[in-house]
Amino acid sequence: MSEVQRRKYTQEEKTAIFDGEFMPHIDSMYNFAFRLTFDEDDAKDLVQDTYMKAFRFINSFEQGTNAKAWLFRILKNSFINEYRKKSKQPAKVDYQEVETFYNSDDVDYQSTTDLRAESVKDMLGDEISNALNALAVDFRTVIILADLEGFTYEEMAKILDIPIGTVRSRLHRARNLLKDKLRGYAQSMGYNTDEEEE
Amino acid sequence: MENNNLSSGERKLQCSDVSKCFQLLESILDGELGEEGKELLKQKLDKCQPCFEHFHLEQAIREVLKTKCTKQPLPEKLADSIRQMIHDVR
Repeated sequence: MSEVQRRKYTQEEKTAIFDGEFMPHIDSMYNFAFRLTFDEDDAKDLVQDTYMKAFRFINSFEQGTNAKAWLFRILKNSFINEYRKKSKQPAKVDYQEVETFYNSDDVDYQSTTDLRAESVKDMLGDEISNALNALAVDFRTVIILADLEGFTYEEMAKILDIPIGTVRSRLHRARNLLKDKLRGYAQSMGYNTDEEEE
Repeated sequence: MENNNLSSGERKLQCSDVSKCFQLLESILDGELGEEGKELLKQKLDKCQPCFEHFHLEQAIREVLKTKCTKQPLPEKLADSIRQMIHDVR
């Protein structure tokens, strides 16, 4: 971001930005919040807090830049700073540690012949959703940002404050973990997973 | 979807560089390569069965995620209450 001369928005401009650029993303914001907290009330509070902060710091939002990414970044930071602390969830594996262990940029790409596109397409929403929810929060987050919300690697890097290379490797690892879960569902439902067609 | 066996006759059954190819395919699916990606993709999918299968699996996963995990219904009054809060602090 260049050193743009930052002027303050007037009340009218603030309202226009808030209603025109921030509020349209409320569905995505709530979906993200719910998938982070798994709780309707917490998700509601998180979205409300995020919008309050967005309004309070609206002068640091540069009009014409990506409002959705800006909002998602605030939401994700609020979640980490406030909600994650108070949540009773047992400590998850620390992704930094995991990434260091596996050497972040050298990702293993493998053929997954035992999971087929057809069985994935036949799965119900609940199965997909449960598989996603079962991932540790940092892996879940990159999948939400990339696949549910369509953010680019560059936008994700800004939202998460991590380098693009880490976005790519974390995303890849998250998808591998997701595939493991889906494979489990596919097998338990008796889908054709590994036998060869005749 | 396509029956893979029907079309695999002309594709090689072993990918010589799975690691590089799959990383490329995933970047293409994520929209990171633009127009250049489309041409590369066609070449890969026409020639290599493992790439073909990997691409379709990855694509299917992205599609079900997008269609089945984005519909968390927004609580009825949330948008209104946010607008009200903003109005009050102004």
